[in-house]
Formats: sequence, C-alpha cells, structure tokens
Amino acid sequence: MNAPERNDKKPSPRVLVFACRWCALVGADAAGRKKTELPASFRVIPVECASMVEPDSVLRALASGADGVAVMGCHLGGCRFNDANHVAVKRMEALGDLLDTVGIGRRRLLLSFGTAHEGHEFAEILGNFLQELGPLPELTPWRKTLLNLPAFR
Amino acid sequence: MPGVMVFLCRCCGRIPPTVDLSALGEKIDREEGVVAVETRDTICLPEDRAAMLRSFEAGGADRILVAACSPYGKADDVVAKLSAACGGDRSRVRLVDIREGCAWIHRRDPVGATAKAGDLIGMNLGFLRHGKCSADAVVAVRPECMVVGAGSAGMAAALSIARAGHRVHLVERGAGMGGMLKLLSHVYPTDAGAEEKLKPSLQAISAQPLITLHAKTRVAAATGYAGDFKIRLASGTEETNLHVGAVILATGAGVWLPRGLYRYGELKGVLTLMELERRRKEGEETPRRSVFIQCVGARCPERPYCATFCCPSSIKNAALIKKEDPGAEVTILHRDIMTPGAILERYYRSALEAGVRFIRFAADAPPVVSGEGKVDSVAVFDTISGVKREIAADQVILSTPLVANADNTKLAELFHIGIDRYGFFREDYPLHPLETRQAGVFICGSARWPVASGDAAAQGEGAAMKALAILGRERLSARSLSRLPEGKLGHARIEDAFCSGCGNCVAVCPYEACALQKVGGIFVSRVNKMRCRACGSCTSVCPNGTIQMPEHNARAVGAMIRRAFSLREAR
Repeated sequence: MNAPERNDKKPSPRVLVFACRWCALVGADAAGRKKTELPASFRVIPVECASMVEPDSVLRALASGADGVAVMGCHLGGCRFNDANHVAVKRMEALGDLLDTVGIGRRRLLLSFGTAHEGHEFAEILGNFLQELGPLPELTPWRKTLLNLPAFR
Repeated sequence: MPGVMVFLCRCCGRIPPTVDLSALGEKIDREEGVVAVETRDTICLPEDRAAMLRSFEAGGADRILVAACSPYGKADDVVAKLSAACGGDRSRVRLVDIREGCAWIHRRDPVGATAKAGDLIGMNLGFLRHGKCSADAVVAVRPECMVVGAGSAGMAAALSIARAGHRVHLVERGAGMGGMLKLLSHVYPTDAGAEEKLKPSLQAISAQPLITLHAKTRVAAATGYAGDFKIRLASGTEETNLHVGAVILATGAGVWLPRGLYRYGELKGVLTLMELERRRKEGEETPRRSVFIQCVGARCPERPYCATFCCPSSIKNAALIKKEDPGAEVTILHRDIMTPGAILERYYRSALEAGVRFIRFAADAPPVVSGEGKVDSVAVFDTISGVKREIAADQVILSTPLVANADNTKLAELFHIGIDRYGFFREDYPLHPLETRQAGVFICGSARWPVASGDAAAQGEGAAMKALAILGRERLSARSLSRLPEGKLGHARIEDAFCSGCGNCVAVCPYEACALQKVGGIFVSRVNKMRCRACGSCTSVCPNGTIQMPEHNARAVGAMIRRAFSLREAR
C-alpha cells in the first residue's frame, strides 16, 4: 500500500473507521498480522454490527477532526444479526444524500459491506479512500460551525 | 473518584520500538482519571497477570485499560480474567489494540504510530468513563415442548424429547401421524416398505405417556419467548392453550403438480412420482414400459433448487419395477443424476446394473411426450451420444419437487421467524441450521428444505437436542441465548421518561424484540430481553437517544469520536 511519505507537506487525511467485528475488524486485524504498511492517520472503532453506527456518529466524527469516515460491515445476506446490515446500508446511503445536500459530499463517507474481510482488501480499500480524500479541501469552516452547535459543545 | 489503571504491554519487544512506550506512558499518565501507568513485558503470561492484579488492587483504581494486541489475539482472554477482579463487570476493563492495529502497520512511521497509540488509549479512556453493563434477564423455563407436524421429523423430535423426560405436545393438522411416509410404497436406499418403517415410531409414540397428540389441530396464536411460550391451538371450534418452553416446527412440505407440463392431466398414463407411489402402494399393476422424466418444475427459474429426493426416488421405483419384471423397459431421462454420498451412489450403480436405462437431456431441449388420449412415446435428444431417440412408453412419470407449505407464512408470522423466497423456513445464519432467528423456535425436516425421511428424522433428533438445551434448565438467562461466540453486549435498554413512542426501533429490530406498549395513556417502546441479540440497530434510529446499548452507549462512543484525532479533549 502507499507508504506514508514523511516529507509530504500535506499530512495524510484523517479517517475514522467503524468496523464490524465480524468482518472488517477481522480484515483490519489480518492486515496487522501481515504487517501491511498503512498511513498512521486512521483510527478504528470496533462495533458489534454496522447497524449500530448512528448517522450522528458520522457527523460527529467529521466535526471532531476526521476528513472521512468509513463504515464497514458484513456482506449483504451475511449479517450475524439477521438483516440488520441491510437497514444500515439504506441508512448510510440516505446519510450520503444528506452529506451531498449540505455540501460536504458523500465522497467523505466510505461504505464497505463484505469487501474488507481480508487483510489486503482492508488495506486496499482504506488506501484508496485516503488517496481520494487527499486532494479534497479541509473541512474547517464547516466544522467550526458545527462544533459550535449546542448539541456538540 | 476512583480511576483507571493503565497497563501497556511490550509484547516481548514487538510493540516498541515503533511505538515509544516510555513517551506514551508519560503522556497517558497526564490524562484525566488515570491512576497509574505500568509497562509490562508479556501480559498473556500468568506471572505478569498476577503482578497486574496485585498492582491494580494496590493502586486504588476501579477500572483497567490494557493496551496490547488485538481482541482476536491472546489479550481478549487476559481481559476476561482481569474483569473477574472487577467483579465480573466487563464494562470496567477495556482492551486497546496497539500491536496489530498500530505498531505493526505503521513501522515506517514511529512518530505517527506513537501519536496514534496515544489517541487510541485516550479514546478508550473516554469509553471507560461511560461504559455500563446491562443486567441480565432470567426466566423460569416451562419444561414442556410443542412439536408442530407429525411426520418423520416431528415424530423423531417428539420421541427424543419424551425419552429425555419432558412432556411433548405433538400438533398435527391431519388426522394421524406419519406425514409423507404414509403416501409412499417403499423408501430408499433400503427398499423397505414405508409402512414397516413407520410402524416402530407409531408404536413408540402411542406407548409414550409423555406425548400428547393433537390431531386435526392448527396453531392459532403464539406469544412469548424462549423458555416461556404461550400457544393457542384450534381444532375446529375447540381451543386448547399450551404453555411450553420450546417449539419445534416440522411441518414438512407439499407436493407440486406439473399442470400443463408434458401433457400432464391431458394424456392417460402421464403421472407424478407421488401418484406412482400411491399406485404401487395400492398394489396396482405397473405397465411394461415406463419412462421417468426428472427435474420437472425443479431447477428452473421459478424453483431453481434441487429437491434432492427425486433422483434416488425415481431410481428406487425404476429398479423395483425392473426387479419385479426383468422384461420391463425402464428409462430415466435426467438432466443430472443427483445421488450424493457413498450409499446413494452405490444405489445408482446397482440400478444401472439392473438394466435401468439413463438418458441425459439438456434443460433447453426437454423431452416431448406424444400420444392420443393415452401416452404413446417420448422423444428426447440424448446429449451424450448426440442422437434423437424415440422411446415407446405405457406410462410417463414426472419427478416433481417438494414446495413449501402455504401454512409456513402464517407460522413464520406467529413465531417471528424468517422464510426464504420459496417459502421454506429460514435457518439462522451462520452455522445454526436447526435454529431460527427466534431463540427457542427450531426447524427440522422438509419445512426448512426438501429432505428424505431418514434425513428428516436425523434433523428432528437434532432439533430435539437443541430444544432440550433449553428445556433441561430450570432457569434461562437472556445472555446465555447469544449464539455468537464471546458475545459481549447485553441488551438494549429504554429510558421511559424520554421515549416518544415513535416506533423506529420496532420497525428496524431484526428480531422483533421491540414493541410499543401503552403505559399511562401513552405509547412507549419495550425491549424483550430474551429476544434482543444486541445488534444495536435500534440505538442508531432512536431520534432522542432513549434506547441505548449500555455496553456501547452513545456517550461512550461520543467520547471516543471526540478524542480520535487529539483535536479536542474528551469529556
């Protein structure tokens, strides 16, 4: 994967990953065990199921300094909780529409369902996402506005 | 206010030098709520664990954070053992992965890796501040079982449970027991008479005082959860109420009639496999020339599945016809012969040796049945030899698949379980073939997928064992119902005061654990703890954060998010 360029002027984009512990977290772990090189600018929050991720949490993450958010769960039809991730996909797609509407853009929200189960898949998906986020402008003005909302203070 | 004891693991030098543990320790020590930071060599060794417990008890902290390897490594076990020191409360011990998730993937960026490790620990300190533990729910188990359907699967299940000493209510919509076996003349692969095969089970059940047969009865209503189901049975105008701990659905499947295919219903002598079974059972003479056509209405767009029993079943009848009259001409037209396993493969070979002719046709060029008033011949393109063949026939037997019972939809609604697109009951994913998404409701036999009588009985016994795991206990705890290994979360909890009764959680719950109830004149949501499997779907749709998973609540997750990139301090 793209190794971090330490002389790069622009730091690597910050990404918060919500990883379902039945799929993407296994992938993240496998990437670790294989010692795949990845930029140190992402953080993983393990969740029991992707359906547990509130749309709020995604906005909150963007407001708290993340340049992008990744929500990763099991493949559709392979959820450990019956059909829970089907609902999660719809919810996250709707959130994507919302992000487009307010001008943040759905490009900052990565959805992966069943595509990050292997270490190399996780590394590839994350690497591509970081590359895509790279040229995007900082979220600062918007973030400041949001951070000043009472709900986030 | 007591605080957190932080343990950093060197992992025998596999975490440093990428992550600078001494700098990290100093940074963590300054964090709010941290009592002490200790660096150890290998936390997975018993000596180190004992030392950790000693310093935890001496330090006056009430929570533990361990920064070590990933939860899929050895550290999870360490956390389980440490939580015993916190009174078994797992919400007071938190594991942070700084090995696989940090040191090993950022080896070329030690500065970034150390900063990330600091953030990860900071995030989890925030999580520890708000993490809670949900109380377990325990119910008294009603030691009786209801088995719906008295076919091969249902009878086997009922007998297994009764032999273990529990009362069984065997509910059958027909007049008597036996199911589909009653319609057959012989069963494969032993070629034993179906009646002979059925007799021992029927005798055992009538001799078993613990089994009550409810014939000509249907399930009218069902409420409750694993350990405590309340069922209403209806038999005509008569109603019976049952109170059982587990439910086994063994309702079997129905036959499918090939109307309009191969001139069925139009020509005399074109019949289905089940009709042939009935004729042979009644002792009717079989004509000399028979042609079997396989996969009629199966493995087609509407029913893409293989019903698994029709190939062996046709082979059985073909070989028996040949045995009774060695001069008979018996041909099986097939797309593929499906005889899996050592026994059925041998069965197929013996039919070949007995002189049964097998001809393969292609799905897009099905055989053509001709005749006037009565079947006369079958034309087929033999794909193996590339020749068109005309086979004279006195009877044509169509092998049709089993289809789901129309009742399945109603039963699935009553018990809140899933059905697949063909109407069969859906098993719980993954690797729980006899269980459904509702704990305490089990499925077996052709109700979950077409199977032969022997396999149905095996599944019935399996489902009985699953049911006995519940019935054998006096009390059943909600947490013990989790089918996931090391399932850590408890169940969703609702703060009544804030619930607006919008019903979002009811709509989204994959287990129908949430329901609206009228309390003091207004609707509020209620979680059935025995059904909740802690996926957290409800928490993400609640408009005001009323419903929460205590182990993964919004405050704790919020604290993690705020701290993720060290831009703001956690609160």
